[in-house]
Amino acid sequence: MAAAISIKGLTKKYLDVWNKTEITAVDNLNLEVEEGEVFGFLGRNGAGKTTTIKMLLGLIFPTEGEASVLGKPLGDIEAKAQVSYLPENPYFYDNMSGWDVLDFYGRLFRIGEPERSKRIQKVLEDVRLDPKAWKRPLRGYSKGMMQRIGIAQALINDPKLLFLDEPTSGLDPIAHAELRDIIVNVGKQGKTVFLSSHQLPDVEMVCSRVSIIHRGKLLAMGPISELTAGEKVEIQAEGIQNGVLEKLQSLTGAVEQSQGRIRIPATDADKVSDVIDIVRGAKGKIISVIPHKRTLEEVFVDTVLKAGGD
Amino acid sequence: MSPSTRKNLIIAIVPLMIAVVFLQSLLDPQLKQIRGAQRTPLVGLSNEFILGPLLGLQQAVAGLLWIRADEFFHEGDYDAILPIVRMVTWLDPHQLDVYITGAWHLSYNFTDSSERSDRRYIPAAMKLLEEGDANNPTVYDIAFEAGWQSIDKIKNYEQAEDWFRKASLRKAADEAGRVTKSPPMFVRHQLAHALARQGRIDESLAVWKQCLTESEEKVKENPNDSSVRNVRDSQRHNYLLNLKRKFSRYTHEIDWPVDRARTQSVNEQTGEPTPRDAYLMTDQKEVTSRANAFRRAGEPVPPMGVGQPRPPATRPLWDTAFDTQKGGTTTVTFPSAKVLDIKGQMAVGDGARVTIRLQDEKWREPKLKDFTFSVDRSVTLMQDQHSVRNYTWGRKIDMSKDPKMYSFSGEYYFLILEFNPRQTSPFIQDRFGWSGEGITDKKYLITIPPMREGQPPLRMIRKVYRLSRAQIMGSQPVTEKDVVPNADFDRFQRELQQTASR
Amino acid sequence: MVTMAIAKQTLEDMLRRKILLILLIVALGMIALGPSVGFLSPRESSVVLRSMGLAVILIAGLLITILSGIQVIPTEVERRTIYTVLSKPVQRYEFVLGKFLGGIFTVFVMIAAMGIVFLGVLAWQERHFAPDMLKGVLLTFFQMMLLGAMAIFFSTFATPVVNFFLSFSLFIVGNMSAVTESLTSNKNPVTRILASIVHFLIPNFGNFNIQNKLIHPEVTISNETVFIVQNIVYAIIYSAVLLILAILVFDRREV
Ligand SMILES: Nc1ncnc2c1ncn2[C@@H]1O[C@H](COP(=O)(O)OP(=O)(O)OP(=O)(O)O)[C@@H](O)[C@H]1O
Ligand SMILES: [Mg+2]
Repeated sequence: MAAAISIKGLTKKYLDVWNKTEITAVDNLNLEVEEGEVFGFLGRNGAGKTTTIKMLLGLIFPTEGEASVLGKPLGDIEAKAQVSYLPENPYFYDNMSGWDVLDFYGRLFRIGEPERSKRIQKVLEDVRLDPKAWKRPLRGYSKGMMQRIGIAQALINDPKLLFLDEPTSGLDPIAHAELRDIIVNVGKQGKTVFLSSHQLPDVEMVCSRVSIIHRGKLLAMGPISELTAGEKVEIQAEGIQNGVLEKLQSLTGAVEQSQGRIRIPATDADKVSDVIDIVRGAKGKIISVIPHKRTLEEVFVDTVLKAGGD
Repeated sequence: MSPSTRKNLIIAIVPLMIAVVFLQSLLDPQLKQIRGAQRTPLVGLSNEFILGPLLGLQQAVAGLLWIRADEFFHEGDYDAILPIVRMVTWLDPHQLDVYITGAWHLSYNFTDSSERSDRRYIPAAMKLLEEGDANNPTVYDIAFEAGWQSIDKIKNYEQAEDWFRKASLRKAADEAGRVTKSPPMFVRHQLAHALARQGRIDESLAVWKQCLTESEEKVKENPNDSSVRNVRDSQRHNYLLNLKRKFSRYTHEIDWPVDRARTQSVNEQTGEPTPRDAYLMTDQKEVTSRANAFRRAGEPVPPMGVGQPRPPATRPLWDTAFDTQKGGTTTVTFPSAKVLDIKGQMAVGDGARVTIRLQDEKWREPKLKDFTFSVDRSVTLMQDQHSVRNYTWGRKIDMSKDPKMYSFSGEYYFLILEFNPRQTSPFIQDRFGWSGEGITDKKYLITIPPMREGQPPLRMIRKVYRLSRAQIMGSQPVTEKDVVPNADFDRFQRELQQTASR
Repeated sequence: MVTMAIAKQTLEDMLRRKILLILLIVALGMIALGPSVGFLSPRESSVVLRSMGLAVILIAGLLITILSGIQVIPTEVERRTIYTVLSKPVQRYEFVLGKFLGGIFTVFVMIAAMGIVFLGVLAWQERHFAPDMLKGVLLTFFQMMLLGAMAIFFSTFATPVVNFFLSFSLFIVGNMSAVTESLTSNKNPVTRILASIVHFLIPNFGNFNIQNKLIHPEVTISNETVFIVQNIVYAIIYSAVLLILAILVFDRREV
């Protein structure tokens, strides 16, 4: 499969004119996003996610490095015709109705009539915007409705590649779930999605691959299953003598003890069998051995903490 | 945008800017035309520096100011208007009515408590009109107004003639706002009047004749336009009337009531009315009384008889007997300070006017270089006129209530009493001629040599007193000893002119 | 199509601006109330009516142009709507042109409204149509087009407040063309050169002030049509230069 997005050594430095300091918002970033992938782009506030997306869309220009979108250089008009973008906290001309805004964006994509009206109708249905609101000015829209218009305008050109910058922030649980479903659907249609988000459970649900950036640097990247793979096994045992406890502690580090039971975390298979051997050798009784998959959240926090995140 | 596109765009700016500079050089001379008239600089600054930031709103600002001036006018706050006139004409030198109204205002609206106008403002008024005319040299309006003030207020008929001639050569604006039309006919009517007032009656007749010919053409073109016909009729009336007047005054006196009752027709070559009865002596009684008049005046009696033409109306000479009619003399008294009580006699018909003028000894018409609306408050200049009624004239002139106008700050004053036939009504001129050819006076007749080619000398009456401040304050009486002989007065005035021009 | 779509959206947006509408209504009211001023002679009131009408159109046009010119692009950035627009297949020059045209359409609509009311008031007052005044309104519009192009150019790199003062002061300097013109023949060579630069290179807004000619019949000009056409061409060419500059700057601009 061809790369929908290919980023090589992308760097963006902002010059703070007042303090005469340089902020490196994106630092030598390398990424490839395959066509058809739903790609999660994770990072803390200020990690450089939005900056990266803006560079990929030609809104701002890289300080160093290069990138291509749909095989075309950054800012290329032909590529843009097949790309769409939902900015974070999007805002639209609020004197216009939902329909008119989509009509305007449809014109920007050079979609002629009657095709344009058909598409508008379809995307408004797809994002499940109440038809009664279609011809009302955006001024009266709720945050969720606004976000739906945002998604709708990103779908109006039937894009190959969507950039969604925190599409679900600030929504109530139901709206949130609905929008997540919409994104899942988009992914199912074979479109490439570049999703920047803090909502890790969402990302876990919709993305096939994720990357984590921190202070502009790429820390981790891979399929979610791989990232969360490093399993954690919880072993519960009873009747352990004191000397054994120290031994276990030196092997695995953290040992919890409560109500005569101990809980020993082990991260690889060798250690699990070592622990079992030690417990058994000390006449202890193994109650259970439970493997725990790490959550994306844990992976994220671990990764960021390991990189010295504060 | 590709670097080559960028480069091309940058290169494209060069020819565009060259075109801009070229266009600007084409526009500049035309803009000069639009900015038009030279303006009187304000406070030494080049006008552009002040007018530039007005963004082409000068006319509107001027208009607003003028509306304000109009309010002052209605409130009677005349002093406030003058600075506005100055500002408005400076901001927008094409507001003809502002010059005209401003000048009219200066000439007529400043008066003392008895409605005598303050003539110290007249030079300023004329200067304002001059400036306005110079700023609007294509249109007739301001020149006409200057002519009108010269004829009506100043009674300087030579100056009036010049302005009206100027105006008659100009153009008038049409409804579409283009200056294409000839000025209205009344401009030349006034020119004819100004010429007649100078005694240049043949030139005046020629102007009337020319107007009449043109109007006849217009009537032919628009036979149904009653206004054109009315103009034609009034021109014809004026033309014929003046012909008859010339005939009556200088050839054979016409019996006007007879002439008016029986005929209107006139021989245009001679001015002779038809039938001739109008100027023939009717009976022996008339012949005798006319002959006696010649004898009384000490003139040879021309051949006369019933059915013969009468002598011209200006013969024999008519003694105005200024001062001496009924044996009296002019009496000048100051019953209280600055209150002039003057009485006199003159043997002319009722309605002739005597001009009374009281001025500083050293006063002469100032020559203003630029318009200014401030007058020299130390100057005293009073002028009034009084009609003769039943051979006497007289008036009490109270100058004590208007110290601003009559400061009497000088030591000596001239009190000038004049009768000028050129300024008098036509029915009185019928006796004396346009230039006083028919008057004489034993004491006060003066003859002013022609000022223009074709102008007869002017015969007029003038009596001048030289008064001290003490006399005006009423503390010393005024007697005939204070009378200055006309020759001395003329010499004094000539010397004054010379020192001033040096 | 994209340019026009942006222009249309801008026009609709601007026509909803309360401040612009208030300006327009006040101006229309002043023009309509014009005839009630003064007890002036017919000629005076004609002069006053014309000069006031043209002045109100000029001032209102000026404010409308500057307020919309300095706003059209920064508003997009401020409201972040520019992200959704420029991430679409829209060339940056199309965006600049669309914004310029939208602003100019706004100015046109408003000046046209004032012009129509002005001509109507004049016709009603003087009982005949005064088509001459259209020339003044037309030149005011082109003057404003040039000013709008300048404001758009400045808005590609200056904040609206800076832009407001910049545009306004250059408008005034450009109106002093009579001064700079007279200085181009100054004795001092330095003054002469500086004046020439200012005179020929700064947009000469004074070029369009034909009011004197229109109000006063006694002011004549060799050929009015040529003058008006040259002025319009001047405005178009100079606006083109400013728009090219705006595009060059905006093309490099991060949003
Ligand atoms: N225009 C700018 N000028 C200077 N610094 C900037 C600018 N835009 C972003 N930055 C800085 O670059 C860094 C990355 O910002 P960016 O908006 O890309 O973060 P983000 O990952 O999108 O964060 P968030 O999750 O809060 O949206 C931040 O430190 C931010 O302060
Ligand atoms: Mg962000």
